[in-house]
Amino acid sequence: MTTTQTQRDYDSLPVSSLSFWAATAEERETTFRELREKRPISWHRPLEGSLMPPQQDGIWAVVRNEDIRKVSKEHDIFSSAYGVQQEEVPDEILDAAQSFLGMDPPRHTRLRKLVSAAFTPKQVVKIEEQIKNQATRIVDGLLDAGDCDFVQQVSKKLPMWTIYEMMGLPMQERESAAHAADGMVSWADEEVAAGREPGTVLNDSLVTLLSIGLEFAEHRRAHPADDLMTNLVQAEVDGQRLTDEEIGAFFVLLSVAGNDTTRNTISLATKAFSDFPDQRALLLEDFDGRIGTAIEEFVRWVTPVMTFRRTVVKDVELHGQHISAGEWVVLFYSSGNRDERVFTDPYRFDITRKPNQHVGFGGGGVHFCMGNMLAKTQLRAIFDQLLHRVPDLEVGEPSYLVGNFVRGVKSMPCTIG
Amino acid sequence: MSFSDDEEVRRYIGGIFETAFKDEEIGPKLADTGLVLKFAFTEPDSVLIVDMVGQRVHQDAESSSPGATMSMKGETANAYWQGKVNLPFAMARGRITVDGNVADLLKLAPMAKKLYPVYIENLRNDGREDLLV
Ligand code: HEM
Repeated sequence: MTTTQTQRDYDSLPVSSLSFWAATAEERETTFRELREKRPISWHRPLEGSLMPPQQDGIWAVVRNEDIRKVSKEHDIFSSAYGVQQEEVPDEILDAAQSFLGMDPPRHTRLRKLVSAAFTPKQVVKIEEQIKNQATRIVDGLLDAGDCDFVQQVSKKLPMWTIYEMMGLPMQERESAAHAADGMVSWADEEVAAGREPGTVLNDSLVTLLSIGLEFAEHRRAHPADDLMTNLVQAEVDGQRLTDEEIGAFFVLLSVAGNDTTRNTISLATKAFSDFPDQRALLLEDFDGRIGTAIEEFVRWVTPVMTFRRTVVKDVELHGQHISAGEWVVLFYSSGNRDERVFTDPYRFDITRKPNQHVGFGGGGVHFCMGNMLAKTQLRAIFDQLLHRVPDLEVGEPSYLVGNFVRGVKSMPCTIG
Repeated sequence: MSFSDDEEVRRYIGGIFETAFKDEEIGPKLADTGLVLKFAFTEPDSVLIVDMVGQRVHQDAESSSPGATMSMKGETANAYWQGKVNLPFAMARGRITVDGNVADLLKLAPMAKKLYPVYIENLRNDGREDLLV
C-alpha cells in the first residue's frame, strides 16, 4: 500500500472540527444534507483529534446511504485492518481493543465465527425469556425509584446485564467493566475526562477492561462454565488456542459494542416517544404488530454509532472521484440515515416506516453488526415494559456526550407521572 | 534474555534514542513532543532519563522532572523496543507501570514504532543476536 500525496482543497463545510462534534445531531445534519446534495464524496481536514497528531492529510467523507452500503460491502478495497476510527488512534490501543472489528477476511472471518454462533437468532431466542425477566425487574426498579436519571436507572442496565450474562462475567465485575467500556468511547468529552488528558482516559479504560477480561479468562480456564468466555478459552483457530491478547481484545470489543449502543438507543427512543406522543399511542394500539418496524425506526432515528472508517487499499473511483490507496474514507451513518434519496420524510419519526433501509447497524458486508438480533430483542423487551407499565413516562433534555463516534447520552431526567 | 548490567541498558536502550535524535526525520519530531521521560528498570537495576527537548539521554535522576516514568524489567524493555510488547496489555498484566501522563506516551507511539528497526539493527551490528526476541 502506498500513500499518494495529493494537494487538494479541503471542503468548505467542516466535519472534522471538535466544535462540529460538540454540536447537536440536528446541527450536523444541516452540513450533511448539503454534502449529500452537492458533494457526495468530499475531502476534509483530518479530524481535530486529541490523542495524537494526525498522520493523514485528510479524510474522504461518504454521506449518502447508497455509497455507505457500497463501501461497507467492498472490504477488499475498503479495509478495516488499519483502524476504523475517524481519528488517529495509536496502534498499540487498536491492537488491544479492536479484535475482529479491525480485521479483514480471512482473519476476520475466523475470529468472528468463534463468537457469532452465540448471536444467531436461534441462540438469541434462547435467552429472550431471561432478557424479558430483566426488563421487568428494571422497570420494577424505575417504578420504585420514581423521578430519576433515566440512563442510570433504565437504559444502562439491560445491555450491561445481557452482554455480561452471555459472557458469564461475575456480577461484581459488571459495573466496573461497563464503566471502563464507556471510557473507551467518551475520552473526547471534557466532563468525563475530568481534567485527565483524552489519551489517559482511553488508556486507563482499556487497561481496566483488559485486566478484568484477562483475570476472568484465567478463572474460566480453571473453572469452565456454560458461557461465552469458556468457549473462547477453549476455542482453537487452525489448531491453536487463542492467545491472551486475542481473548482480551474480544472482551474489550464485546464490552464496548454491547453496552452503550443499545443503551443510547433506549434513551433516545424514549426521548422520541416523549417528543412524538402520537407515535407512542400508535405503537400501543398494536404493540406486537408494530414493534418490529418501530425498532428499525429507533435505530434509524437515533443512529447511536455515527461513524466508522475504512482505509483504501487499491486506487478506486467513487462518484467519479479518484481515491488513492492509503487514503481514509469515513462512513457517516447519521447522514445515511437521513438520506432523502432513500427515506420519504426523513425527519419524521415514524414507527411504521417500511421499507426502512437504515444503515444504523452498518451498511452490510462482513462487519454488519453481530449483535443486531440481540439489540432488537432487548429493545423489544424494554419498550414492552416501559410503554405498558409506565404510560406517563416523560423525559427531559438529554445531556449529550461530545465525540465523533457514538451518539451518547450521559444523563437524562425522567418523571414517571 | 535481558541485559547483564546497567552499562548495557544504557548502551542499548539509551542508544535507541541517541540514534533517533540524530535521525533527520525522527529527531525533530521527538523534540517537538517536549517530553522528558524516565525509565526505571529492574533486573538489572538502571535508570535512564530521556530528554527529548535537550536531545540527550542521561542517568542523573535528581536533575530532571520527568512527565512520565515507565517502570519495567530489563527483559520487558528489550522486547518492547523490538515491537513485541503491547503497552496497554503489559500495563494490564502489571509488567509495565506508568507513573505520570500516559497520554504523552501514546503521542510518542508512532515514533516509537519507527525506532524498533533502529534498535534491532543496533543489536545486530553489535553481534547481540542473543537479545533478539
Ligand atoms: C442498537 C444497538 C447497536 C447498534 C446501532 C450497533 C451498530 C453497529 C455498527 C454500525 C457496526 C459496524 C458495522 C460495519 O462496520 O459495517 C457494528 C458492529 C458490531 N457490533 Fe453492533 N450495534 C448495536 C448493538 C450491538 C450489540 C448489543 C452487540 C453485542 C455484542 C454488538 C456487537 C457488535 C460487534 C461484535 C460488531 C463488529 C462486527 C464485525 O466487525 O464483524 N452490537 N455494530
